[in-house]
Amino acid sequence: MEYGSIEREIHVEASPEVVYEVVSTPEHLAAWWPDEVEMEPVPGATGMLAFGDSASPDRHVEPLTVVEADPPRRFSFRWVYDEGVTAAPGNSLLITFDLVPTDAGTLLRMTESGFREKGWEAAVLEAQYRDHASAWDYYLARLAPYVAKLVSAP
Amino acid sequence: MSTVIDDELWSAVGDPIRRRMLDLLLADGRGTATTLSEQLPVTRQAVAKHLGVLDRAGLVHGTASGRERIYAVDEAQFARAVAQLASVGAAWDARLRRIRTIAEAIQRTRDARPPTDPS
Repeated sequence: MEYGSIEREIHVEASPEVVYEVVSTPEHLAAWWPDEVEMEPVPGATGMLAFGDSASPDRHVEPLTVVEADPPRRFSFRWVYDEGVTAAPGNSLLITFDLVPTDAGTLLRMTESGFREKGWEAAVLEAQYRDHASAWDYYLARLAPYVAKLVSAP
Repeated sequence: MSTVIDDELWSAVGDPIRRRMLDLLLADGRGTATTLSEQLPVTRQAVAKHLGVLDRAGLVHGTASGRERIYAVDEAQFARAVAQLASVGAAWDARLRRIRTIAEAIQRTRDARPPTDPS
């Protein structure tokens, strides 16, 4: 039984250079995951991932620290740790993207590890935001206060 | 399902010794603080404390038997803990599909760009 990490892979019909860009630049990251990203893809650089609109009281910001930036082979960063501490094994989750060139493109491998220590926080965060870019949760969260306002109006 | 309960559930399985204890209980079907401590590098007292945490999280149930309590895993609660991680995995599947869509679109745009005319 292993709760320590989650591993996923997908084949992408694009060069490792392109895939690397998509997983490591703030502009692209914001298109497939959080709403806002501040990050320089340089080892040791710190930044943040923000979920939810900047005006929303539900906005959630997670710090991140880039661990490895080795284009176009590997990009990794730590997240889900307390503000003010240095991200390290045991106090954060480590996300690693490994890019393996293939004949038709790139095999993209994602590993997220550190769940032994940080599993609950991550699970809550994921459960709350996992479908935010593509599904109902995101819109429902915005719709609910709006509907409440309509209902409470005289 | 309340957040407080889930929080307990997750921190309960977050500890490596407690996970080892769950492994042993699942393998043996049941155990006591004494039998578990014999298979672990921690004292009986420490195991008893960990069992208390697992019990409060609903992951194990104890039945009194003489001076000891016999513990067994609560399958339903255990399945919930596993499902939490599965949902994290599903979220990643969705994200990787989005990464693929974006990367393939960029690649198509670059491939379609006419080669620069050297003249």
